[in-house]
Amino acid sequence: MTAHLPETKRKYDLTFARWVSRNVHGGDKLNMCMQCGVCSGSCPLGEQMDYGPRRLFMMIRAGMKDEVMKSDTIWNCVACYRSEVRCPRGVPVTHILDSLSVVAVREGYAEAKNAETTRFAKAFWWSAKKFGLTDERLVTALYYFSGGIGEGIRKGMANQKIALRMIGKKRMHVGMPRKIKRRGELKKILAKAVEIENRNDAAAGEEVKS
Amino acid sequence: MSKSYTYYPGCTSRSSSMHLEKSLRAIAPKLGMELNEIEDWNCCGTSVGHIAEGRLPNAALSARNLALAKDRGEDDVVTACAACFIHTHDANEQIREDEGFKADLNEALAEAGQAYDGSLLVRHVCEVMVKDVGVDAIKAQVTNPLTGLKVAGWTGCQTVRPFAATERGGMFDDFDDPKFMRDFIEACGAEAVEFANNTSCCGGSVAVISPQKSLQLMKTILDEAKEREADCVATPCPLCQQNLEMYQDLINKEFGTDFQIPVVFYSQLMAVAFGLNPLTDAALNQQMIPATKLVEMGTK
Repeated sequence: MTAHLPETKRKYDLTFARWVSRNVHGGDKLNMCMQCGVCSGSCPLGEQMDYGPRRLFMMIRAGMKDEVMKSDTIWNCVACYRSEVRCPRGVPVTHILDSLSVVAVREGYAEAKNAETTRFAKAFWWSAKKFGLTDERLVTALYYFSGGIGEGIRKGMANQKIALRMIGKKRMHVGMPRKIKRRGELKKILAKAVEIENRNDAAAGEEVKS
Repeated sequence: MSKSYTYYPGCTSRSSSMHLEKSLRAIAPKLGMELNEIEDWNCCGTSVGHIAEGRLPNAALSARNLALAKDRGEDDVVTACAACFIHTHDANEQIREDEGFKADLNEALAEAGQAYDGSLLVRHVCEVMVKDVGVDAIKAQVTNPLTGLKVAGWTGCQTVRPFAATERGGMFDDFDDPKFMRDFIEACGAEAVEFANNTSCCGGSVAVISPQKSLQLMKTILDEAKEREADCVATPCPLCQQNLEMYQDLINKEFGTDFQIPVVFYSQLMAVAFGLNPLTDAALNQQMIPATKLVEMGTK
């Protein structure tokens, strides 16, 4: 992974704000935010976040890189898009949080790496890349055990009943994983896409330095 | 007259929401929709795909589907899954709006000898049913009106967000208080109870990843359904259906409640109302919480 966030020297460093505006998908729209709080007020999990989106956006504009990147706000977004559709200033809230989560992972923040969502995403991506499809059962198992054997057993036991009922209703696949036919084709497309993503990241990093 | 659509079923159509797929397939011919699957389609990337390797690889999943769909020669790609819709539609719009993104994705697609120009329109099947089919045509197919069935129409979030009120999204309903579920329920002859939680979120993928965080959200939805004396909750969204159904036991344990509220798809209501077999066509035999009253209405 290419490191590309700007080095910040102060707690409030506007190079971070400028970087988000230029490099985060939808980030340029953050300048439109008028801090009305419709986003935070609309958020179903707002109460469980370190900061609601309104506050997080102000923190971005204030250049508080580490606090933003380490916040659990980005991991508690349920992607219901309520804040995004309600925002009177057209700030694509969900899209911005989505993109920030990508940046936090790529920059190697421990909070991002250890987030349950990240662990689930890695398990999911493994299935998507390998089979071309989501194998709900394997993704779930892989995710459960991504936090260690103890956690895997605990989470597995807790959800065993649900899994058995799903299988009973033929709503969970048993047997060999389903696969798309031309997996080689998909693999090549994804490998190239990863290469381009890294190339674009490196270019963004160079831009920051210059 | 039947209209032909390129159809993207999505992963859950083969597993957790097979009953949506089955019932939709059963009602589609009656509504004049011919659904032709994209050949060798792959996963859409869901709400988490971007986190693993970034936005571009995630969008590449959709780009391959769109390139394959384009080869079929039809103008529209239709999907019944909220997540498939949102991510495929979003990728498609970004390809149309961002030349750089489009060029990058085409560079990736070229690895498999494919290309995509952004010319398709990605549509949700509910939008197709509202606009192309029409509620009157749905009503016209009803031979077994679900008289006396009280249904809480629960649209959920992603089906109408953020695209339902955009031109490319079909302008087919409101994103805060959509009415199409009510129309569908009433077209079937059932009673659509008032439901303030119409677009409340179940927790989506967070409910799957960290259930404890979102049990309260689902409880709020179930509380209202019970208060309104609904016989069942009906939704268009695979994840909504799965979450609200499979977590009821856990919610009961956590909050000391006794919910046993069936959660069905609009397509299952329609299948029963159209006089089709409630177990095999409407696939009500795949409910974890049996929709007894609805099944009985179909077998009377």
